Amino acid sequence: MHRFLRLSVLLMGLFAAASTFAVDAQTPALTTEDDLGPAIEQPIEFPHVRHAKDMQINCMYCHTYARRSAVAGIPPLQKCIGCHQYIESVKDKPRIKTLFEYWDAKKAIPWKKVHDLPDFVRFNHERHIKRFYFQQNRPVQEVCGYCHGDVKEMTVARRSKLLSMGWCVSCHQKEHPVSAEGGTPVGNQVPWYSMKKPPADASGKVIKAKGPNDCSVCHK
Amino acid sequence: MSVSNLLENWSEFRHLHPVDDVPHDPYKWAMSIDLDACSGCNACSVACYAENNLPVVGKEKYAHGQAMHWMRIERYWDEDGREFPDQGAQFLPMMCQQCEAAPCETVCPVGATNHTPDGINSQIYNRCIGSRYCSANCPFKVRYFNWYDYPTTDNVWPAEMNQQLNPDVTVRGKGVMEKCTFCIQRVTVAKNNAKNEGRIVHDGDVQTACQQACPTSAISFGNLVDKESKVYKQWKAQQVELDKDAQAKDKNEEGRSELRGYRIFEELRPYPSVMYLERVRESAV
Repeated sequence: MHRFLRLSVLLMGLFAAASTFAVDAQTPALTTEDDLGPAIEQPIEFPHVRHAKDMQINCMYCHTYARRSAVAGIPPLQKCIGCHQYIESVKDKPRIKTLFEYWDAKKAIPWKKVHDLPDFVRFNHERHIKRFYFQQNRPVQEVCGYCHGDVKEMTVARRSKLLSMGWCVSCHQKEHPVSAEGGTPVGNQVPWYSMKKPPADASGKVIKAKGPNDCSVCHK
Repeated sequence: MSVSNLLENWSEFRHLHPVDDVPHDPYKWAMSIDLDACSGCNACSVACYAENNLPVVGKEKYAHGQAMHWMRIERYWDEDGREFPDQGAQFLPMMCQQCEAAPCETVCPVGATNHTPDGINSQIYNRCIGSRYCSANCPFKVRYFNWYDYPTTDNVWPAEMNQQLNPDVTVRGKGVMEKCTFCIQRVTVAKNNAKNEGRIVHDGDVQTACQQACPTSAISFGNLVDKESKVYKQWKAQQVELDKDAQAKDKNEEGRSELRGYRIFEELRPYPSVMYLERVRESAV
């Protein structure tokens, strides 16, 4: 009994010490699996809804790099002005006025990144656009929407998908919208090559993922 | 992995050579290094520092064995009785050998290092917990551990120098193991470009930083599956085979073989992807 008491006192002491340590330590910003990050304020409240939905402008008219490089890029101010200098009807609107202020001051608009992946992730826009838009002829807003959500209903873009690794893998490994032949074997990613044979179906054929499924494809 | 599981399903586990089960197709990245051409100039090492965001640790940490040179030049003195200034040296560029049956892969507790279907031994930095088990098990000692948080350490990348960091490569933080990746960021770009043109990567589409910098072209890098590649031809000419643990050169009893190709520590059966071409010694000519 005595020993039991002594043990519990010790444990409580340890617990107290651990919890004070935990409080002292700088706790990082809470990022949970379903965290979509903070809403981001942009220098100009850009109405995606006006451009993409009302005017039916193709996403890739402005985000032109998406189809030919890893990063989608942010359209230069010139692109905005290219159209807006001929659109007299909205020239007196406050947002467009701000736009021209930047243009007259010869300054780029300091847009902020909304869909920001960690530095150790390699995501290639080109590959995804090539596959779904150019090869499978799906509508552009659906293709972009796989990751960016329903941007045409937004003004300032807001993250609406998780963009977590599990979320990416849910397409790459499972059946989702991908219909590619053969990536790397499904499941057991880590030991499949060096230690354990990859899982096979009844006929002995290795079960492969629907998209690239190898760590080093996305992690750099 | 319990012992009983291991024993019951033994046939599924460790097998002689992974290529037997899943042949490499369409890529198997490999290298060959001509030691006769190597002049030990260290350009490859410098190029690697620039390409892969390697921190320059300084004299003191270097002396503690904390250098981060993924590509290092090993130096061997000729033992022919001459004294230092006249004595000749042999050089051997040493980096991750991208073993097919890599000893590091099997021991990683979190699977941060694993084999890609292209035959590269990948290192996933954000997965690594820094147990350093891989480094302990690596016969080549080519894995380097971040003992310090170099991005925040003074004079590693002083202000504005950080602008030259390669955006395609992670800047590793403290407590992470790292090693040569065969410039996987360049391979990825080459594969992407090739895919756009609906083909596979041709020989010469991709070169590693060390290969690019080598003034004597001692290093060649390419796809071992592609029969048109320089690397394939070199391996073929030297009769070096990926899945053998002894090569034709070793079997020659005379010791005066015309063949020069060998791989390091083959007897340990890691099946390295780097073939070295033995130096042609003065005495042998």
